[in-house]
Amino acid sequence: MKTAMKALINKDLKAITKNKQLFASIIVVPLIMGVFLPLLFVVIFHFVPDEMGDLQPLLNLLPAKGIKDGQTMVLSLLINYLMPGFFLMIPLMAASVMAASAFVSEKEKSTLETLLLSPLSLREIFTAKVLSAFILSMLVSLATFLLMTLAFETAVYLLMGRLVALHFSWVLILLLVGPAVSLLAITLIVRTSAKSQTAMEAQQRSVFLILPLLLLVIGQLTGVMLLDAWMLLGLGIVLGAIAYVLMWGAVKKITYEKLMGI
Amino acid sequence: MHAIITTGLGKTYPGGKEALKDLSLQLDEGEVFGFLGPNGAGKTTAVKLLTGMLNPTAGSALVMGHDPEKDPERVHALCGVVTENARMYDHLSGLENLMFYGALYGQNSFESRERADMLLAGLALHDAKDKKLGAYSTGMRQKLSFARALMHRPRMLFLDEPTSGMDPESGIKVNQMITRLAKEEGVTVFLCTHQLRYAQDICTRFGLISEGAMLMTGTLPELQNAVLPGIRVRIRADKLPAGLPLQEAGNGVFEGSLGEEGEVADLVRKIVLQGGDLYRVEVEKPSLEEIYFALTRNREAAK
Repeated sequence: MKTAMKALINKDLKAITKNKQLFASIIVVPLIMGVFLPLLFVVIFHFVPDEMGDLQPLLNLLPAKGIKDGQTMVLSLLINYLMPGFFLMIPLMAASVMAASAFVSEKEKSTLETLLLSPLSLREIFTAKVLSAFILSMLVSLATFLLMTLAFETAVYLLMGRLVALHFSWVLILLLVGPAVSLLAITLIVRTSAKSQTAMEAQQRSVFLILPLLLLVIGQLTGVMLLDAWMLLGLGIVLGAIAYVLMWGAVKKITYEKLMGI
Repeated sequence: MHAIITTGLGKTYPGGKEALKDLSLQLDEGEVFGFLGPNGAGKTTAVKLLTGMLNPTAGSALVMGHDPEKDPERVHALCGVVTENARMYDHLSGLENLMFYGALYGQNSFESRERADMLLAGLALHDAKDKKLGAYSTGMRQKLSFARALMHRPRMLFLDEPTSGMDPESGIKVNQMITRLAKEEGVTVFLCTHQLRYAQDICTRFGLISEGAMLMTGTLPELQNAVLPGIRVRIRADKLPAGLPLQEAGNGVFEGSLGEEGEVADLVRKIVLQGGDLYRVEVEKPSLEEIYFALTRNREAAK
């Protein structure tokens, strides 16, 4: 990769950490979704286990093999089947905030034209911007995953004296579904960035992507379906393919005039 | 090689507004070309077409041998551009901004630091180099934009109102730098401004544009001869012999137009030989401003 593209990616990543408001919004959601929520589940389950009765339909769907007791089964259900739906909101949110900042903020603050006047081609600028949003989103996801695992296992160990095994599906979430969701969010922001006048407006558009994720969570809770590794694999491939096709379509149509809203 | 060649270049925006009509131009390397006209005349559109930010709807252009429509990156690598809409990052310092743009042109941090330091010192911005751009005044921002455009030692500069918002001292510094770059390094300058007096001081050739159409191009003497030939003379004397082509303007001052400078000597001789006392003789050629207004008046009349 050209040094110029690296410089652009570096600049975008640094800009997000220097902007306190944006940085806070990138940190808060992962902390709530990835740390606070699983801890809350564990604590409720430990102190008022009856409240978890609502999970019964989902428990019925679980393959019982290998799990010794009911308590571990519920905890495994929490971390391996319920959490992924919430967790996927993290790459979605981080990628949206970063992409909106990287594409629309430059236009909003009139720095886009200066960038377009550089010797980087439009495609290189576009790629650098997509990559910076993607890298940030992946970093935030990975950090949240580590924090989540640490917080969950520590709480479970301290309260119930045991550890709960994480399923292989987390590998798929981190390496396939998460990246696909994040690419999809970036694509959506990029495709509408010419129409959005402010970064806030662009972010608001991406909120709609949360709806399918919420359906996924609700679907699990009500026992309609169980998100197993095969489903995640399929979901990741389909989302990734959609993101790729949409992104490629956006790259092909990009022109200086369109970017500047003429 | 010509720095810029345009042939029938035109741009009509999607809304139907014809911002630039049939622009045909040739600029030699090392020229400081003043592209002059009021706001909305089409100057910025021309710069955007020449830097590939807009695609022409008519004609074509070559900048330093490259077509900005097909090869914008190559044009960008050779050109520095200062326009009102090309801003820098408020959250970065002056030095950080310059180093970032240096990196976009492939400079390593050592090269970009050295170049930025030199430009900042040359433009009297060195004391403010670590201040965030957000804290810069309009004039300082404009100077930093100028420095930014020079980071990669461009062969061609597009400057759209480069000294707007600057204090007079900074304006002079920038003008000196423009003149030096053109003379010593052969950099071609395409300077857009509505301040005709300013342009008259630093440009070597001019293009006068109005409502998207080029009215005339040429050096100042060429424009003067074509549009308002002759010279204006103003004389203060105690008395004037009859029959001279001068009219009294009050306070013993007489004004009139002459065909060429040689006629001034004749005029002075006649006054002195007939016993008149001369206190002052001023000879003036029409300014760029007067030429521009005469041209637009002619155009209006022709309509």
